[in-house]
Amino acid sequence: MRMVGAKVPRVEDRRILTGNGHYVDDLQLPRMVHAAFLRSPIAHGRITSLDVEEARKAPGVHAVYTGADMRALSKPIRSPLAQGATPEIFPLVTDTVLFVGDLVAMVVADSRYLAEDAAGMIDVEYSDLPAVVDYETALDPGVPPLFPDLESNVLHTATKEAGDVEAAFAAADRVVEVTLSQHRIANVPIETRGAVADYDPGSGQLTLHAATQAPHGLRLQMAQTLDHPMDRLRVLTQDVGGAFGLKGNIFREDFCLAIAAKQLARPVKWIEDRNEHLMASGHAREERITAQVAVTEAGDILGITAALDMDAGAYPGVPFSAVSFTGVISLLLPGPYTVRGYRCDSRVLATNKSTYVAYRGPWAMETWTRERLIDMVATELGLDPAEVRRRNLYEGADGDRMVTGPTLAGITTRECLDRALERIDYAGFRAEQEAARAEGRYLGIGMAAFIENAPGPKEMRPNGGFTGGEAARVRLEMDGRLTVFTAQSPHGQGHETTLAQLAADEMGVPFEQVRVVHGDTQVTPFNILGTGGSRAATWGSGATMVATRKLREKVLAIAAGQLEIDPSDLQIVDGVVSPKGVPGREIPLARLAGQMTLMPQTAPPGTDPNLQAEERFTGEETSGSGWSGGVHACIVEVDLGTGGVQIKRWVVVEDCGRIINPAIVDGQIRGGVAQGIGQVLYERIPYDVEGTFMAGTFMDYLLPTSAEIPPIEIVHVEPEDDEDGGVGFRGVGEGGMIVAPATLTNAISDALAPFGARVTEQYLPPAEVLRLAGVV
Amino acid sequence: MKPAAFEHHAAGSVEEAVSLLAELADEDVKVLAGGQSLVPLLALRLASVGHLVDVNGVPELTTISNGDGLRFGAVVRHRQVERSPEVAAANPLLAAATRRIGHTAIRNRGTIGGTVAHADPAAEVPAVLALLDGSVEVRGEGGTRSIAAADLFDGYFTTTLEPEELLTSVHVPALPEGTGWSVQQFSRRSGDYGIVTVLATLALDGDGRISAARVAYAGVDAVPLRSSVAESALVGQTASAELWTAVGHDAAAVLEPGSDLNGSAEYRRHLAATLTARALQQASERAGGRA
Repeated sequence: MRMVGAKVPRVEDRRILTGNGHYVDDLQLPRMVHAAFLRSPIAHGRITSLDVEEARKAPGVHAVYTGADMRALSKPIRSPLAQGATPEIFPLVTDTVLFVGDLVAMVVADSRYLAEDAAGMIDVEYSDLPAVVDYETALDPGVPPLFPDLESNVLHTATKEAGDVEAAFAAADRVVEVTLSQHRIANVPIETRGAVADYDPGSGQLTLHAATQAPHGLRLQMAQTLDHPMDRLRVLTQDVGGAFGLKGNIFREDFCLAIAAKQLARPVKWIEDRNEHLMASGHAREERITAQVAVTEAGDILGITAALDMDAGAYPGVPFSAVSFTGVISLLLPGPYTVRGYRCDSRVLATNKSTYVAYRGPWAMETWTRERLIDMVATELGLDPAEVRRRNLYEGADGDRMVTGPTLAGITTRECLDRALERIDYAGFRAEQEAARAEGRYLGIGMAAFIENAPGPKEMRPNGGFTGGEAARVRLEMDGRLTVFTAQSPHGQGHETTLAQLAADEMGVPFEQVRVVHGDTQVTPFNILGTGGSRAATWGSGATMVATRKLREKVLAIAAGQLEIDPSDLQIVDGVVSPKGVPGREIPLARLAGQMTLMPQTAPPGTDPNLQAEERFTGEETSGSGWSGGVHACIVEVDLGTGGVQIKRWVVVEDCGRIINPAIVDGQIRGGVAQGIGQVLYERIPYDVEGTFMAGTFMDYLLPTSAEIPPIEIVHVEPEDDEDGGVGFRGVGEGGMIVAPATLTNAISDALAPFGARVTEQYLPPAEVLRLAGVV
Repeated sequence: MKPAAFEHHAAGSVEEAVSLLAELADEDVKVLAGGQSLVPLLALRLASVGHLVDVNGVPELTTISNGDGLRFGAVVRHRQVERSPEVAAANPLLAAATRRIGHTAIRNRGTIGGTVAHADPAAEVPAVLALLDGSVEVRGEGGTRSIAAADLFDGYFTTTLEPEELLTSVHVPALPEGTGWSVQQFSRRSGDYGIVTVLATLALDGDGRISAARVAYAGVDAVPLRSSVAESALVGQTASAELWTAVGHDAAAVLEPGSDLNGSAEYRRHLAATLTARALQQASERAGGRA
């Protein structure tokens, strides 16, 4: 049976659901000790005195490290992928704390309890400095830079201009101008950050057991920062309880743990608690865009200019800082629409807040901005928002190009829009909405479209893009089973299932006989990103497929030699090689592999008895447009008595190319929509004007629960099967969250249309909904 | 999020608990019931204690009795209250209010005595006590006393219990026959504390006039509040949607709630007005009225 396309139950589920998963906190090593961090209670200030003597003498304490201690044991942390102005950073604060939660000292003790007790005995005095917590202060040239080695708090500026902006605005009947803001939120995976650093003084081997998305990236950064030889540095990652981009970062805490483990010659564990996590793991999304849209009265969008400011927090993320996402935002903002003139200016600002990190579609500001703007244009011109979209959407014809350059040949946005509106009964809804308004009930409908280069058309990723593609290794075991070594590092995506589906089909072995190995830098191919950026479906899959094909060729060559027949006349079905249509001459893979491994000297001449293959996938074999995308539509009812928003329907029509596993794809979409709903209605990281952090627990940072998420109806626009073995799978992990906030805010805006509400802030809790409606 | 060290004392009886409280009075002692509020505070090190007197194992604190109203031992779990047929019969409002406490897992562990003694101004059961003039029984080394709801809540998270006293039982009067009731709560997510909670009971006479009315709020002040404005405006009037709206508006106008991340004082007053009108409407329907 063909596995690709089937709703194969996840092989991970049994292990995880029966409590047999292995998360980093499950790890218990002999002589292991526990770390706790003393964190800054203030947003910005110089440390004027730091006394750790009492803590050093506290019961069960092995060591207390200050910033000065760590500085002596570490090189500055420098990302190999740094962009923009980059300050010199060490694992702990050496002089000035830069946000609430900044790392002041580390205690290592026999237990986390004792470590926290001792951390409480550390005496710190701070001299307060004014905190930079908003865009204007960060932009103020009179405000001293947070980092003394940088010239200002503006870390990066860039301009992208495409098409003829002047002509577009000159031809416009009117210009719609607005400033749109997206608020700070947090990734909050169920499993917080955490690691165990284990050092063997005998061999000099440093092993990091880490909850990470990027084991190889962590290993590389650790080797560079600690000057540790890479032949003695291994990262091991088993089950990871979610990350959503956060754990693609390498954290200052990681270096502290490794340094302590080397110093103490003991395994050191740190599991971040939820309070630390909310405060200091990193935050996402805080951005604003001031945009002008040049339109005709008929609703043609001629040009867009946008000025983007991004609040990057205190320390640039490693390896990817906020700066790396401005390029994607400015590239993708025009989306699937026929904009002719476009400019995007961007600035990235340092502030006294936790670090800006990637979160599921980190560039989503482009979709929210564009789709909100289109609704605002429709409102201003008195047009239907669906019609404005139809009027400006590309068809996906061969010559279609986004104004910023990439070809849009083959995109299906228009089909997705039509099908979404049909499914949700757009015309019927408008009638229902009018009748409800007459009764004093406020219903609204919202729609939004997105496209994501996951992986993007080939011209955007020559030679495999900036990572040069991705490799996988496949090995035929002596019992005929197949092991796939992937560079992906799954943390909920189900790659143990999907990559096994692909390998099973490519090789011709039963799905149950394929094991996917990930997360061990000693055996998996290098990939600095690990899993992230909706890359796995294309790059992880493609790598698995080409490596398996290579191995299959080796196997067929051997079998062909043994059977004295041309390899093209052979097939592999259910783990058995046989001549097509000639029964009785089967060679089970177990027999072939056993023989080649035990007696490689018996390999037929000219064949390779080493039954493994490593191949790099550069994306040449991809098929289709390369664009993942779709349209969401939802219906809400707003209660003007409470400000509550009830989501009555949510329809998704999406195109992620060929689907490997429909259950996993649907799960990705639902999860993304749930987070997008959370982002609009529930979640916000609050800082006050002094930079005080105000959401230390889940009492204050509200995540949606299953009770808040409506049923999500999903329709797939899927191309025909590739006959030529192309890789037609596209990324689907981020799309739901990229487009959901635009969909929902447009629906709420539509519901509040009778009140002339103008939704420009993305966070819409009940009190804000009533403010927009003019009720409170 | 690991608590500082403390000593745990498992009390086997009320006498033992009371004597431990007296004995440890100078050493930072607290009573541990369901732990749904206290334990997180300890874990965050926002509170620390020298000793916890754990009353979960005291058998006489685990029973529900029904005679002159409902009487609950202090460690009766919320889940027991919401599922009790006796409670459903004698006071369905209490069962409904209890169902609004947190999530099932929290209600499986949290206790009626714990939530009353903790005195969170947004909590449901303290508001029920205020609404229905309930009371609690407390025991100290000097003996037993009863404290009426009106005298019990003394400010944010503060009651008039002495530090050495143990809250042993909670008394909630039964709803009189024919009383309509309602629990209206608005929270941003299911299971959260209400931003505002409104409780109401109404009784109607044969002509559809309101013969008795009670209205109480949680989440609008430091303590649960009865609304004399609403109650006096209701009695003697004929049930109508206009009346509910007007009473909601007038009752909310005199409230002085605080502001927080969930909304301003003005927003809370708007919520209180909305929920009061909805509570009165539902209570009136349950009392057999048509408006």
